[in-house]
Amino acid sequence: MEDNEIISLWRTYGQRLEESLQLNRRNAEEITRLKVKSFLSSMKPIKLFTIAVGIIWVGLIDILIIKLFPIANWFFIISAGIQVLLTKLAIVIYLYQLILIHEADISEPVLETQHKLASLRSTTIWVTRILFLQLPVWTTFYWNRSMLLNGNWVLYLIQAAVTLSFIFAAIWLFRNIRYENKDKKWFRLIFNGSEWDPVIKSIELLNELKALRVENK
Amino acid sequence: MLSEQPAIFLSLIETNKGIIYKVANAYCMHSEDRKDLIQEIIVQLWRSFDQYNDKYKYTTWMYRIALNVAISFYRRENRRKQLTNPLPDNIFDLADENNGGETGKQISYLNQFIGELKELDKALVLLYLEEKSQQEIAEITGISETNVSTRIGRIKKILKQKFASLNA
Repeated sequence: MEDNEIISLWRTYGQRLEESLQLNRRNAEEITRLKVKSFLSSMKPIKLFTIAVGIIWVGLIDILIIKLFPIANWFFIISAGIQVLLTKLAIVIYLYQLILIHEADISEPVLETQHKLASLRSTTIWVTRILFLQLPVWTTFYWNRSMLLNGNWVLYLIQAAVTLSFIFAAIWLFRNIRYENKDKKWFRLIFNGSEWDPVIKSIELLNELKALRVENK
Repeated sequence: MLSEQPAIFLSLIETNKGIIYKVANAYCMHSEDRKDLIQEIIVQLWRSFDQYNDKYKYTTWMYRIALNVAISFYRRENRRKQLTNPLPDNIFDLADENNGGETGKQISYLNQFIGELKELDKALVLLYLEEKSQQEIAEITGISETNVSTRIGRIKKILKQKFASLNA
């Protein structure tokens, strides 16, 4: 089929639609009476809630670290410090997402808007990576000097096995949670569920958009 | 002026209903999803109507919103649930969706082939088939004119190959 044949086919399709497609004016009119939010601003409340909870959590742990600094053991201070630092990073990502939501305008050219929206979704994967990175500190914050001095070999062995395996898992997941691994079984297991499909598709689109933006320059 | 707005908007939708339907059809194969997408596009057009910038043609503005909503639509988890208000059922009534005959069959193949393209390529081919100039396509998509031409060349090749494989 030649170019002009395809275009003429499309014209016929357009004419047929014009003849058979009727706007249901009453239903369309109802839309003009709705107080609708943009689909982007519908994402704002959950992000604001997460940021608020995150800030409260970070604030509490920071106060705890400062207050307990002179008396608490170093295992707790360092573990809590790492946890709070990673949570702060996650909050920064959420703030970045809010900025993108604020900046995105769906009447802008497709490439720009989609780049903002796809970036917004794809940063969610970073939050997950950071979440996994803090795994080991949940196995160390309760350590103390007396436990180490008075414990027995079984306790040491179990504790070391748990902490080392959490460190290994955290680093491995942080390094491997990448779009390139999206088809691997373990990836599918972690990111199982319909809420993750849009994130994966966004990264796919983002890669396509990045290539186009490079070509555009 | 404020009371005139819905009337102006509705007549704009009526005049350009084909744009909305064709975009929705390219991005949604299933008729239920398509209905949702059509409604979503109209909702977002109405929402942005206040901020319409007359620097651009109405159709440029409509295409940008329709394509942005359509491309984002598949990435959303709870489509209709995310809207704050329930929406009416059918905005468009299509008297005869399956036009018969050989041309009807070819049209449905063309729609199928467009549906199989990548998200951005779908947008480009829709605008090309609507006989928009390369400048207009660049304005709507934000892709440079040279890039538009290269990409469309590639897409046309794919479409031709798909039609040729039907006859093989």
